[in-house]
Amino acid sequence: MDKIQHLFQRAGFGLSPAEWQEKKDWSVQQAVDYLFAEARQSPVRITTAQMLPAPSRTMDKTAREERKKMERQLVGQQNIAWIKRMASPKESALLERMSLFWHGHFACQNRLSKLAQAQLNAIREHALGNFRDLLLAMARDVSMIRFLNNQQNRKQKPNENFARELMELFTLGRGHYTEQDIKEAARAFTGWSSNLEGNFVFRQRQHDFGPKTFFGKTGNFNGEDIIDLILEKEECARFITRKIYRYFVNEKVDEDLVDQLSQTFYQSGYNITTLLRAIFESDWFYQSQNRGTKIKSPVDLIAGMMRSLEVNFEQVKALFFIQKALGQTLFSPPNVAGWPGDKAWIDNSTLMLRLNLATYLFTSADVNLRAKAELEAKDRGAATRKLKATVNLQPLFDLTRGLSEDATFQRLAAYFVPHHTGLDKQLFDRYIPARTREEYVRWVTMRLMSLPEYQMC
Amino acid sequence: MKRREFIKSSGLASTAMLVPSFLHAFSGQSATGRNGKTLVIVQLSGGNDGLNTVVPYRNDIYYSSRPTLGIKREEVLRVNDELGFNSALAGLQSLYDEGLVSILNSVGYPNPDRSHFRSMDIWHTASDSSEYLSTGWLGRYLDSACQNCHLPYHALEVDDSLSLALKGHRRSGFAMSNPKQLKKTTDNRFLQAIGQASKEEEHEAQVAYLYKTMINTQSSAAYLYEQSRVFTSRADYPQTAFGQDLKQIAELMTAETATKIYYVNLTGFDTHANQKNQQERLLRQYGEGMKAFVADLKANGLLNDTLIMTFSEFGRRVKQNASNGTDHGTANNLFLIGGGLQQPGFYNDAPDLSALDNGDLIYDIDFRSVYATILERWLEADAPSVIGKGFAPLALL
Repeated sequence: MDKIQHLFQRAGFGLSPAEWQEKKDWSVQQAVDYLFAEARQSPVRITTAQMLPAPSRTMDKTAREERKKMERQLVGQQNIAWIKRMASPKESALLERMSLFWHGHFACQNRLSKLAQAQLNAIREHALGNFRDLLLAMARDVSMIRFLNNQQNRKQKPNENFARELMELFTLGRGHYTEQDIKEAARAFTGWSSNLEGNFVFRQRQHDFGPKTFFGKTGNFNGEDIIDLILEKEECARFITRKIYRYFVNEKVDEDLVDQLSQTFYQSGYNITTLLRAIFESDWFYQSQNRGTKIKSPVDLIAGMMRSLEVNFEQVKALFFIQKALGQTLFSPPNVAGWPGDKAWIDNSTLMLRLNLATYLFTSADVNLRAKAELEAKDRGAATRKLKATVNLQPLFDLTRGLSEDATFQRLAAYFVPHHTGLDKQLFDRYIPARTREEYVRWVTMRLMSLPEYQMC
Repeated sequence: MKRREFIKSSGLASTAMLVPSFLHAFSGQSATGRNGKTLVIVQLSGGNDGLNTVVPYRNDIYYSSRPTLGIKREEVLRVNDELGFNSALAGLQSLYDEGLVSILNSVGYPNPDRSHFRSMDIWHTASDSSEYLSTGWLGRYLDSACQNCHLPYHALEVDDSLSLALKGHRRSGFAMSNPKQLKKTTDNRFLQAIGQASKEEEHEAQVAYLYKTMINTQSSAAYLYEQSRVFTSRADYPQTAFGQDLKQIAELMTAETATKIYYVNLTGFDTHANQKNQQERLLRQYGEGMKAFVADLKANGLLNDTLIMTFSEFGRRVKQNASNGTDHGTANNLFLIGGGLQQPGFYNDAPDLSALDNGDLIYDIDFRSVYATILERWLEADAPSVIGKGFAPLALL
């Protein structure tokens, strides 16, 4: 039964109490089929934010500042809309999860709402499809082009930024190409640019049509050719497989398993669904060394809490500030390498906020969240935020209906920290003043969600 | 008796009851608190363009490589016949004139890496270009070479998260952007109780790490909060995040906090396009911040015991690019600021722009000899055990 919890935790964002009731006796195969079927039925493109008209070159400074501010708000709205999808049992958990993975892999600063949305939609379209299609879409993605300076990559003066990250971070990893390969690849991507309206354009006059020598082969390669030459290398399949393994299975890599999976992935022609199914349908995925050993990312944690408690923030802004303070803001990864993850999520200050988060939500506490500095901000002084939210505990009351206090505690513990056995109920009881049934559920829930073990999945 | 056991047995479970002098007694510090020297690291993130920071204003190659981005001769704040500061660095220039600044040119390492992340990791871990380490040089200093450094806040980063430089195998530094927030987060009695009840050996490794971090944070928070309230600086810091971070450090130092190393970031130096405004805005924040900080330390009699090192993960290419910016380069200048410098001024010659490696500066000083100097001569530590052999201290301190 906790195999199902494990699967939905890793392939999605956990199960709501009602979902858990409904699905806990499913077979693994049934659950995996369900996840992929749900993903296929989910609308690929989402439009959440209102769009601003294309900026004009004649805007003065005030207009530009105003526009920047509006763009920030709109990207913020997209952020909130997306995290709500992750938290919602009505959406495809797997599609959202995989989109989040690629969002961190093709990490990009998204400051313009239209471009942020276009990028996310391109990722969603290919998230469970073919990696080549996804890679090509990202190479033509306007956010990416601008973020990695391909806009400035011209025949006369190549800019190597995109070509370097393409190989270092997106496909091969360090040690599998030379500095010369980067230079040649950069030439092949010259002219891959964007216009003022935010659409991809290929600028012929900036493109270097001459012969390039890449990975020992010579030809009049363009960017697409470079991508195909990269994908020909089995090392690329291995690099992606390894990252997916660390993300979905375990930070400690079993090299033999990654070898096998990577061959499957390569032979499938980079079919992402094939790779994921091979993981979720395996026996080893459910073994104890792979359960409860991953530190939830901040977005995992938030979406999971929202799913369990149907959290409704009075001000959605709060959601934005929690992400920032915990070190993972959607559409704003720290750099092109994405979020480092694992223990890097944890330091003394992020851990305390994580552990206190449930208490804050239950008590609408004042929280001092100092967000990381924005480049434009004049001051990043501390701001007091009231995390005013309502939670719906009815599903948890239903989950524990008719149970004794002891059994209620055990049921809730099994739901919130399934990988943690041997909890000391007496210790909890010392910090639980109330004793009506509903109050008890409320307090136990809050305490369980405060445990360091709740940070794990 | 271990500190945590003492807390338990004296019934001082609530961290709010801990007082600074109490903690001092257990941190092995004297009753007056901080002893010896303090190190402050300033990280300019993104790869600061060193050639437009300390400008070779008589060099023709500089101007021909940077037809629009070169700093005009008449704008440069000259310090000698060859070199001068970017005009946004008037604050730093005044410190230089007082003999409080050492400038090292062309600091780098063999086989330089032009990736931000990799190069920053190399600087943080003090590794070779081809070597991958998972601990930072200051973290390893805390691990093995620092006496009485068992409490996390002996190395304090003014930020929401902790840099790799401050992560060791056994010990790590502490991240705190705001002492009030930190204290509030540890006032949860249930979390204090589960921390005390936890037994490390019963946890899976990742969970044990969470427990350890939680317990350390609880015990440090009250102390730092009290320390932050001891002294309020009246010095004129810039109203920027960076300026306020420096102010907080000065206040903690003046309060004789038992912190030996402070770490602070200024970000935004990755100037691939339209560099001039962006870089100068940041350099101004840096220069004005340093000026206020140093004046504050001086007024409180701390300057002679303080060393400030400023670095960036790499410099930028000598030639400007087509977008009025510069791409990732290699060697860069590094600043030491403080009252204890052996020979303030320029430590070595300006970078040789006629001898470049594929358009990039060739390093003259390995950054690890700067670390060795700081470890041996400032922190009184055994440098080879922290950064390996082969890096002789320089005649700087």
